[in-house]
Amino acid sequence: MIRRMRNRVFLAFGVFVLLFIIIAPFYYVITSSFKAPQEIIARTPTLIPQSFTLQHYEKLFRSSNFPIYLINSLIVASGAMLICVALSTPAAYGLYRLRLPGGKLLFRVILVTYAFPGVLLLIPLYGMLSQLGLIDRLSALIVINVTFTAPFAVWMLRAFFTTIPPELEEAAALDGATRLQALLRIVLPLSAPGVASVAIFAFITSWTEYMFASVLILSDANRTLPVGLAGIIGQYQVDWGLLLAGATVTMLPVLILFSLVGRNFVEGLTAGAVK
Amino acid sequence: MGGYLFILPLLLWLAATILYPLFSAIALSMQDIRIIGTAGAFVGLDNYVRILGSESFWQAFGRSVVWVVGNAAVQTLAAFTAALILNQKFPGQQFARIWIILSWIVPTVVVVIIWRWLLSSSGVVNFILITIGLTGEPIGFFSASTSAAASVILINAWRWFPFMAVTLLAALQSIPGELYEAAAVDGATAVQRFWRITLPLLQPVLFVLGLVGTLLSFNVFDVIWLLTGGGPSNATTTLPVLIYDTAFTRYRLSQAAAISVLSGLALLLFALLFIRFMAPKQEEES
Repeated sequence: MIRRMRNRVFLAFGVFVLLFIIIAPFYYVITSSFKAPQEIIARTPTLIPQSFTLQHYEKLFRSSNFPIYLINSLIVASGAMLICVALSTPAAYGLYRLRLPGGKLLFRVILVTYAFPGVLLLIPLYGMLSQLGLIDRLSALIVINVTFTAPFAVWMLRAFFTTIPPELEEAAALDGATRLQALLRIVLPLSAPGVASVAIFAFITSWTEYMFASVLILSDANRTLPVGLAGIIGQYQVDWGLLLAGATVTMLPVLILFSLVGRNFVEGLTAGAVK
Repeated sequence: MGGYLFILPLLLWLAATILYPLFSAIALSMQDIRIIGTAGAFVGLDNYVRILGSESFWQAFGRSVVWVVGNAAVQTLAAFTAALILNQKFPGQQFARIWIILSWIVPTVVVVIIWRWLLSSSGVVNFILITIGLTGEPIGFFSASTSAAASVILINAWRWFPFMAVTLLAALQSIPGELYEAAAVDGATAVQRFWRITLPLLQPVLFVLGLVGTLLSFNVFDVIWLLTGGGPSNATTTLPVLIYDTAFTRYRLSQAAAISVLSGLALLLFALLFIRFMAPKQEEES
């Protein structure tokens, strides 16, 4: 009895510490973004906000280029998401459903590209895109983000594609459906949660990307959120209220998308490594 | 044969944006280009000779090793603890298992703002340390070499350990419960069960995480760059930071390409050794 009680207490403590480490910083940053400037810089931090203001958000949207960064990020993340899904779903279908000779080798090749450190490609990709005249273009960022999300997307889709019974497609083939029709009409609808997870993975990753965006984009009008926000960090006097509001708005789309597909997303992330 | 058409577009895309740049990196590294768009002359292996003889390259190499090992140690410990906790039954378990990866999904720049603020001289961490009397003066976490390096490693580990934790958790859940029950009947303690059942069965996942995790962790640039810019006095300049800095603040593009090629070779060597010695010894399922 006592032992069981003790284990319960340990477990509750562990769960609390774990969630505290992850969630408390977010709680503190988001709530503080609504605090008046004097409360933000007050010597004694306040756990529960004592003041409420939207002035940091107003400043962010009225007197900085933040709205432009936001639109640019939306364009890049949506574009990369669409192309990533368009490339990875058929590829995953081909790899996991069609039993092609050499499929396993191709799968390994794609896996290697996933683990490939992107920083090693920074210089040559920069050179290549500048030769193509794509420097300072959002399309360059879309290209890059597809490259770094599609391989993992294929890997994530595996978990969803391999659970669909092959009989369904065989039946469709008997009815005279082509492979493309079988993919579009049978496999895709059944693996919709997987495709949604992959789309959101591509969106979130592209939304976050900093390194390539910081070198491929030159003009302020084409900056994405991470680079634009990083520019505000670097200014001579740190305006914490503005930065906290910026951080909150930047993570908001991620939080919304994740709350929609969280469970499938985590399943897709981990299933590839386990199965 | 039509089946290959499904995979072809992706393969072509990856060939154009990974394979081709890989070869062009080698070509770039043998010229003397400083700024992209300007012409360069062929200089053979000059850049490699210079870099291999430079102290800054070997220091960055050493820091990358410290970075990768430090991250692996902290993340493995944190992720194992988190996965074992999340594998228990408790109220709110579903919520915890999903939202634990919050720190991994938010943009790096958000992570950077959070921790710069929490660790600033008037920030909440310093407030707590002063209140409980651990320090009299606020600590400048990013102003001394050792504390800056430790801080960036811990912040990056905070960002990444939940990803490793959910992967381990998924693996833990795939272990049949009967194994533990049988062991419990035989009188095995919880610690024995962990070492004899859990760990061996997790080996394939640990192998993948070890290999991929190392490569991905080597690759981290933005967290370091945005927190410290590689400083103070280069204390956090790992190889990715050195590549970026060489190309875009010191304008030595070809040298940066050569550092990239050398880093790639080092990682390739690591990957081959890791696969050779760490691959799970069991027959491959097909």
